[in-house]
Amino acid sequence: MLIFSVFKTLTDQRVTVELKNDLSITGTLKSVDQFLNIRLDGIKVLDEQRYPHMMAVKNCFIRGSVVRYVQLPAEHVDTQLLEDATRREAANQTKR
Amino acid sequence: MDATAAPGIQEPFDLIRLSLSERVFVKLRGDRELTGVLHAYDGHMNLILSDVEETILIVDGGEGGKTNGTVNLAKRKMAMLFVRGDGVILVRTSYDLLDAIDLCRRQKIVQKCAKLC
Amino acid sequence: MDESTPPPPEAGSPPPPPPAVPAAILGSPTDFLKGVVGKRVVVRLTSGVDYRGVLSCLDGYMNIALEQTEEHVNGRVTNQYGDAFIRGNNVLYISAAESI
Repeated sequence: MLIFSVFKTLTDQRVTVELKNDLSITGTLKSVDQFLNIRLDGIKVLDEQRYPHMMAVKNCFIRGSVVRYVQLPAEHVDTQLLEDATRREAANQTKR
Repeated sequence: MDATAAPGIQEPFDLIRLSLSERVFVKLRGDRELTGVLHAYDGHMNLILSDVEETILIVDGGEGGKTNGTVNLAKRKMAMLFVRGDGVILVRTSYDLLDAIDLCRRQKIVQKCAKLC
Repeated sequence: MDESTPPPPEAGSPPPPPPAVPAAILGSPTDFLKGVVGKRVVVRLTSGVDYRGVLSCLDGYMNIALEQTEEHVNGRVTNQYGDAFIRGNNVLYISAAESI
């Protein structure tokens, strides 16, 4: 749930999603759900030569399970807040 | 619970929790390795790291035989990265400080043993 | 149709006699895992890589915390770690490397 919240705070920011098949897509994060499925708008594929069929695609829905990495805008991530939230969630996990 | 050498660790995730805001080493599927400062994780081992350096091991040639393949390293840096947990194999904590101490101690023990022999 | 037919043998046969095992190593997998905490172990991953070290603790997913970890690939030490966390889904087996 924690990571889901992080992504929610990053909606309308530009992110780069790298998929497990090595395709990297940069776009504006429009929405995210609890499975970390991602919707991107205004997308641009990193290696267009290799994936010419993606040239005309302007937006996409990415299934969470195929994501390897998401590069986030560092200036929009409060790392102290993240660490505190992570500790809090870890404490809740052990209580259950 | 057994009292082991490391105090305050009852479950594996405690090890990760104690590494928040520390540099960690992450081994991933697909011959990838990362180092970065850990800021968040969850029960799936999804991670958020900053100041990340990724190393990809690319083995050329030597198909079938493990002997004569050249290993190339591709490196790149990323400022802030989310890593999906299902790709994680191993997280090595206390990466830059404690390991060095540990290694140092071990080398001293080896030297002592060598003298005794 | 023939109602007097006895049930098939696999359903009706008595359970096989318990194997002759010394009492010391009888016990459930859970007992084994409890027994190896704090001991030297070998953790083999599905990739074939071995991690040798002292098992600090583990959880129900077989996530593992190891101390004094050595990574072995093809019988050779390839890395030495202080503490290592191994994600459980990669674990093939945990083997005790000293008597428990």
